[in-house]
Amino acid sequence: MDLAVDLSGITKRFGAFTANDGIDLAVRRGEIHAIIGENGAGKTTLMNILFGLLQPDAGTISIGGKTMLVDSPAVAIDEGLGMVHQHFKLVPSLTVADNIFLGMEIRRNGLIDRAAQVERTRVLSEKFGLRVDPQERVAGLSVGIEQRIEILKVLARNARTIILDEPTAVLTPQESRDLFQTLRSFVDDGMTVIFISHHLEEVMAVSDTVTVLRDGRVVATKPKSALTKRELVRLMVGRDVSFDRRPRTRTEGAVALEVEDLWARDDRRLTALKSVDLTVRAGEIVGIAGVAGNGQTELAEVLSGLRPASHGSAQLHGHDILDRTPAEIRNRGLAHVPGDRMVRGVDRNASLSANMLMGRQTKKPFARLGVIDWTAVHGTMRALIERFDIRARGPKDPARSLSGGNIQKVVLAREFTAGGDVLLIDQPTRGVDIGAQEAIHDEIMRQRADGRAILLISTQLDELKALADRILVMFDGRIMGEVDGAAMDEDAIGLMMAGIDPADMTEAS
Amino acid sequence: MTNRLLFRGLFSKGLGRTLAGQALAFAIALALGAVIILMIDESPVAVLMTLMRGAFGDAEKIAGTLLQTTPILICGIAACIALRGGMFNVGIEGQLFLGGFAAAWVGFAFALPPVLHVLAAMTLAVVAGALWIAIPAFFRVRFGTNEVVSTILANYIATLLTSYFTIFLFKRPGGWSETPPILTSAYLPELFSFSRLNIGLLIGLALAVGVAAFFRWTSAGYAVTMVGSAPKFAEYGGVSVRRVGFGVLLVSGAVGGLAGGVETLGVHHRFMEGFAPGFGFDGLIAALLANGSPIGTIFTALFFGALRAGSLLLEVDTTASREIITVIQALIILAVSADLMMRRRGDRTGERRWKF
Amino acid sequence: MEILSNLFNVALLVATIRTTTPILLVALGGSFTTKAGIFNIGLEGQMLIAAFFAVVGSIWTGSSVGGMVIGVSAALVFALIYAVLVVSFRANEVVVGLALNILAGGMTVSLLKAIFGTRGSVVGRGIVGLPKVQIPGARDLLGPSTAQLISGYTPLVYVAFLAVPLMILFYNRTRLGLYIRVVGEKPEAAEALGISIARIRYTAALLCGLLAGLAGAHMSLGYITMFTENMSSGRGFMAVAILIFSGGDPLKVLAGCLLFGFADAFSLRLQTFGFPSYLVLAVPYAVALVALFALSWRARPKRIRETVETIRRALSVRPSGEAGRDAPLPRS
Repeated sequence: MDLAVDLSGITKRFGAFTANDGIDLAVRRGEIHAIIGENGAGKTTLMNILFGLLQPDAGTISIGGKTMLVDSPAVAIDEGLGMVHQHFKLVPSLTVADNIFLGMEIRRNGLIDRAAQVERTRVLSEKFGLRVDPQERVAGLSVGIEQRIEILKVLARNARTIILDEPTAVLTPQESRDLFQTLRSFVDDGMTVIFISHHLEEVMAVSDTVTVLRDGRVVATKPKSALTKRELVRLMVGRDVSFDRRPRTRTEGAVALEVEDLWARDDRRLTALKSVDLTVRAGEIVGIAGVAGNGQTELAEVLSGLRPASHGSAQLHGHDILDRTPAEIRNRGLAHVPGDRMVRGVDRNASLSANMLMGRQTKKPFARLGVIDWTAVHGTMRALIERFDIRARGPKDPARSLSGGNIQKVVLAREFTAGGDVLLIDQPTRGVDIGAQEAIHDEIMRQRADGRAILLISTQLDELKALADRILVMFDGRIMGEVDGAAMDEDAIGLMMAGIDPADMTEAS
Repeated sequence: MTNRLLFRGLFSKGLGRTLAGQALAFAIALALGAVIILMIDESPVAVLMTLMRGAFGDAEKIAGTLLQTTPILICGIAACIALRGGMFNVGIEGQLFLGGFAAAWVGFAFALPPVLHVLAAMTLAVVAGALWIAIPAFFRVRFGTNEVVSTILANYIATLLTSYFTIFLFKRPGGWSETPPILTSAYLPELFSFSRLNIGLLIGLALAVGVAAFFRWTSAGYAVTMVGSAPKFAEYGGVSVRRVGFGVLLVSGAVGGLAGGVETLGVHHRFMEGFAPGFGFDGLIAALLANGSPIGTIFTALFFGALRAGSLLLEVDTTASREIITVIQALIILAVSADLMMRRRGDRTGERRWKF
Repeated sequence: MEILSNLFNVALLVATIRTTTPILLVALGGSFTTKAGIFNIGLEGQMLIAAFFAVVGSIWTGSSVGGMVIGVSAALVFALIYAVLVVSFRANEVVVGLALNILAGGMTVSLLKAIFGTRGSVVGRGIVGLPKVQIPGARDLLGPSTAQLISGYTPLVYVAFLAVPLMILFYNRTRLGLYIRVVGEKPEAAEALGISIARIRYTAALLCGLLAGLAGAHMSLGYITMFTENMSSGRGFMAVAILIFSGGDPLKVLAGCLLFGFADAFSLRLQTFGFPSYLVLAVPYAVALVALFALSWRARPKRIRETVETIRRALSVRPSGEAGRDAPLPRS
């Protein structure tokens, strides 16, 4: 068998955590080989080892039939490997051509030959049908074009085997389809594509062979034709679909959060929210679906007072919360579980108690006349560790000693006990293991049963399907439409996530 | 590798590891210092003995050490306050000079009853220090202007400005470039008859304990610490990062001014050009060495005070210059820096605080 | 009027060029570290130590070039220590930079006493200053008063000003220059391409030491021929201020340095008119501070520009009647 890449027995540990455990992976030349697994299954670690960014603790790597030590990306590139990272590595102030030839500049008389680089970029871009303007600066280009540049970068290095790490995470469905077509044309030209994903639809759509990783181990390598979606899910999570819709009793609570015609800008000062309207009633969970980066984070930040709105209104129990500080909004009864928990949600170096104290450091019983009662703080934290089943030795443990799932539980514990009756929850289970995910979902349902109004932002549809009473879909800063959670129409949501109004589709067809 | 693991195992608790690491760094720095002393043709042992004798030789010498410790301690506390809030106040030197001048001016220009006179002079010193940092602090929190550079540049202006006041506006008749002496009603009470050591030391100690307690036990202290170690988390939790940052710098500057007031009213009893050179920087170094802990700063300030006091004898008994102790201090900081402070900041997330 | 013409004349321009040179050299040095993403507050110390060793070296070797080489070597040693601690040991840049400044101050004073047995300063004693370069024909072509604008400076003056176009070329057209920018702007990109971030940062730090060393040598062998305690007197810090608002771009660095050079020369001139020297000496520092504050204030119009840009984009997406929807109304 003609193998482009052959990994055997790859093991990689980070401290006590084993990210890759004796992984064997054989990729045939001329195929699209998908590596699928949940977040944290070890996909990215494996590819970083193959590409020389990490060194394995055990195992061998052969590329094109040669067993070798890949101790730097340079070695991998020499062997015809190219990697398109999940987070693009382009330099904003340089032009497209400069970025493509960075590290392999064309030089004349010791100086970089700009004209030649531009010309070669143009040739390359035409040859592979990836349209770019070589002389444009990268700053301000769309993610789709940035990805194109990344792929051209790899092609310019004569890569025959291309690794793509979660390439669709930031793309719209249309851009994803274009990407898949490009990949198919590469394979037709005799190249090999390794494609990392946790998205089973697209794996089923594009790949020839699928390798499933779970907890750092290979659980299966099969041709796609021998697999069904259902089987793939079972392989990924180790059992049949975990997220059934949670049973619930219908509630008709009072309006707790009301947002009308809300506009806001992102960090680059571009409009991120465009006339957002929504209401959340007590005792219901309103889900926000959408591809990451379509304004969900900005919405959460505006509502929690971390980002100014440029126009519109938002009312919490009838009180205007725009132009209020985060502290004032908290005191009005909003609790916020941030999407970026490592930066916003905790101080990794502080103790669990100190993390729990945030936002209530002046309130009884934790403080009296501005003096903190640490005994009370530790006592409360101890009770929360018990109640939320946080795996920690005690309240004085530093947050950094906990796993991602347990850190998230600390954040949830703090916010759910903050006394707020409106919960703004952004990505509750991102990067959290399955067991903890279920526990977190249980807790969110309990909060609903207690009559809290919950706005739940998630990029995972099955999570919303399990929890939400109503689902709003966001695209490009707008609410595209609303779907009932119980009778969820996945096709309609998919169209809206891509910016297409389903009503238009039916008219057109 | 095994050795390193063993080392980690033995000192797995943060404090133990910190102490062991710092002791090692100290040893390296002292060894380097010895090499430099050899380079200038002196015996390191002789220098060390002279330093020790100069610092702790008799009661008078010990009092001299404590006298030098006082301004370093107070300046160190000023630095600690800023460091806790994630700010570098490198302008303590300037605040010290302005505070010193302000206290002297109240001391010689007004006649007030004893206790009131001291209080008035100290108050103005504190206000002067706070005002001097107010503009850099405002631009730091409002526009993100790097406070390290702005406060350093302000130092030069403060030094020149106070010299101008002293020489052109308030020059004492008789030629010296110093202000008239302050009235005895503005003197800080001395502790012993044989030394100028005054209650400034007690003020410094009380301040250290007070600031430590503030950070450990109060809601406001908690907020400052969180802004320093995780600003985005603090902002999310409802702490006004800008207000805390501004307040922290202002208080830090005020304490810097207080140091100047103590030095003027307690030691020199007048303001003169270059009246307290380097105390601001020594204080900053002492605070860094103590990793921003006010209690730790008491000990590092004492160490630097002893070096300073000892260095006075060094110039008498050997050919070495007293600036050799500055060299030793800098070496200690360099040796310790590799393992210092950074642990507090989130360099794991790749976040760089110092960027343009 | 007469006072004004006495204040502003060719001599002032010449003085500006002379005072600009050291700060330009050191700021261009700092441009390397700035572009490589390192905040180098230790420029002051590198300059000072170089100034001292340039004097020592010129006495030892009996030549100004020897002095310059030894001075630059001393700055390179400091730059190397800085790089080892900051790049390899990940120490805090501000702490290391400040400590090296303090070290330079203490070392020069101690060594001054150990070697020369004096405090304060060292003059004469066989220090060989840098020669003055007379550009042939300048005097004939331009006449004596204009000729002194371009001729008769020590060589490092020309080096400093020629370095500006060379560095623009360096950053835009050479591989190392490009890599330095990449490491500073997007280290992940460098890492992914197998460019060693550490090696590039070391290189940038040493290049910085080289120019800071030349700046120091120029101070003690070119500008004047003597060494004085703390003779760098904050120029390194002013350079850092310039670097902050120029982002290390050579042209902007030059503009900033000319401003400070002018402030420096102008304040010296004021002194001769009887203004109190202490206040006059403070002028360059005050100019640096005001520029630092004013230019961080300037960051604001950018936002307005971006806002206009957003509206423009929004309008171009929907040219029809819906255009108004994308341009939010100002909040009342």
